[in-house]
Amino acid sequence: MNADLRRYIFQDTWFLTGFSLAIVFAVTVLAGPPLVPFDPWDMSFTPISPPSAEHFLGINDGGQDIFSELIFAIRNTVTFGLVSGLVALGVGVIIGLVAGWLGGFLDMILMRLADVLLAIPAIMILILTAALFRPSPFVLSLILSGLMWPTISKAIRAQTLTLRESLHVKAAAQIGGSNWYIIRRHLMPEMFPLYLIGLAAKTRMAMFMEASLAFLGLFDPSRKSLGMMIGYAVKYYYMDIWWNWLLPPIVCLSLLIMTVTFLAISLEKVLDPRLKDALG
Amino acid sequence: MNANSIHFTPRRLGLIITFSLAALAMIYLSYSLPRLLPGDFVTAMYASSPVTLSAEQEAELRAFYTQPPDFYNYLVKLVKFDWGYSYAFLTPVSALFLEALPWTLLLLGTAHIISISIGFIAGVEASWRQDSRIEKGFVGGMTLLEGIPEISTGVILLVIFALNLQWFPAAGAETAYAKVSFWAWVADVCHHLALPLATLVLAYIPGNFLLARNSMIMVIKAPFITTARAKGLPSRRIRYAHAARNALLPLVTRFGLRLAFMITGVLVVERIHSYPGLGTLLFNAIQARDLPVIQAVVLISSLMVLAIILALELVYRIIDPRIEYER
Repeated sequence: MNADLRRYIFQDTWFLTGFSLAIVFAVTVLAGPPLVPFDPWDMSFTPISPPSAEHFLGINDGGQDIFSELIFAIRNTVTFGLVSGLVALGVGVIIGLVAGWLGGFLDMILMRLADVLLAIPAIMILILTAALFRPSPFVLSLILSGLMWPTISKAIRAQTLTLRESLHVKAAAQIGGSNWYIIRRHLMPEMFPLYLIGLAAKTRMAMFMEASLAFLGLFDPSRKSLGMMIGYAVKYYYMDIWWNWLLPPIVCLSLLIMTVTFLAISLEKVLDPRLKDALG
Repeated sequence: MNANSIHFTPRRLGLIITFSLAALAMIYLSYSLPRLLPGDFVTAMYASSPVTLSAEQEAELRAFYTQPPDFYNYLVKLVKFDWGYSYAFLTPVSALFLEALPWTLLLLGTAHIISISIGFIAGVEASWRQDSRIEKGFVGGMTLLEGIPEISTGVILLVIFALNLQWFPAAGAETAYAKVSFWAWVADVCHHLALPLATLVLAYIPGNFLLARNSMIMVIKAPFITTARAKGLPSRRIRYAHAARNALLPLVTRFGLRLAFMITGVLVVERIHSYPGLGTLLFNAIQARDLPVIQAVVLISSLMVLAIILALELVYRIIDPRIEYER
């Protein structure tokens, strides 16, 4: 199945586009911050100056180099997205497997909890905690993953219920395999594609939330973020700064969201058998 | 039908109980979180705020937050619209909220109606022409659009249409102090609504389109469509009267869940276009560290989302009994 998968997925234009963009962003995030020409917190330049040979994108209203800011902002947004996505995935997979495999009362309680969390707008909880406690971005991303796991759990649980009935899992139970053994050796590896879809979808959601929260001014103002850059630049949109100050963070944010969207959509298309011929 | 509704009553009751618990949890969070803050948070909050409080205003605020922990009393006040007093706007919080709510409802409601209709029709038509060049182009374009967040669309539309072309106003929901006839007022409101509405519609269409198209493609393969064709029915009748009715369901069932997430975009879009709805109110309250307003907007709008999702759950279980077995 995995060899098949690789063959299919690398023929998909959307996947290739998303994958290439992801590599570009990975390089930016890893190699960018040490290489930026200026310290993004250095406020010693002439405020609101146009781009020059030294400052590729000019200087913002606080006298900071916009290009250096941009690189750090991309790193922060990506980190927030990936941390929330990975934690949500971990929690979602464990809860989905436990609920699906053990079933019974525990299953019912967990799935009701999932229904409730799905209905509560995550952004509202984030705004309330951010406004009251001013927590670190890491804590906020943990709270967000605590609210995002239900969709992953539901998918994993449904798949677990199907796998329960398959021959090899029945055989493993028959030879006396413990619950943990079956979950670890038989159920977890087989659902690998679902993890990728879940991770891409949740990372997308988390990056979107991060940008919105930063835009609304709920993060520490010294933390560089694409949303915050847009928020500041938009206050001066009537000046002639939109192409060097406003546009770069907008383009970067859109490209980031596109990257994960393309990956999520193409993975879903290739991996979900029901959709295989649905999505051309 | 009748037998069904009797049969599923316990399940429906379970749903209502679950959602009531969720609502109660939200209310309890909003009641207890401020009390968990260490030290004298009223001073701490308003120290970094542009609002200066007089001694008695500060005492009043402190009294509001340090009144004896009485959850029942909090609930009663909530129901009575007694949500505290905003010192940043010098108005009761409930008045601020009720003033902003209609604009958000107008914006969000119109955006959903338009984007669902366009997305659905485009999805049905595209799936009918599966594998054609038009369909491929449509799917590609929508996938691309799905990757552009509201923040970006909003700012781009603002710069192009409000700043450079000056076709639409950049802020507000109506022209202030303009004493005009009713119809001129309606036109004015629509004129102000255009940009934020366009932003939201552009953000919502791709999701609706892709969902409608995917479910249509599965419906089209069903035997009853072959039967309909064999009967020689006109193509449009098969598409809409037979297939699309069934393809509409996923759109309705997923609407509630997507709504909880899509609220995020509305806050941002209102702020970009300075549209005087709940998002802008929330933004201003955050800037002024006006805690009672933040709390009220967060809590009441969450409760409203919960109520809408619950209502939808109850309604579409009646529309489509199959849902019971799918879960």
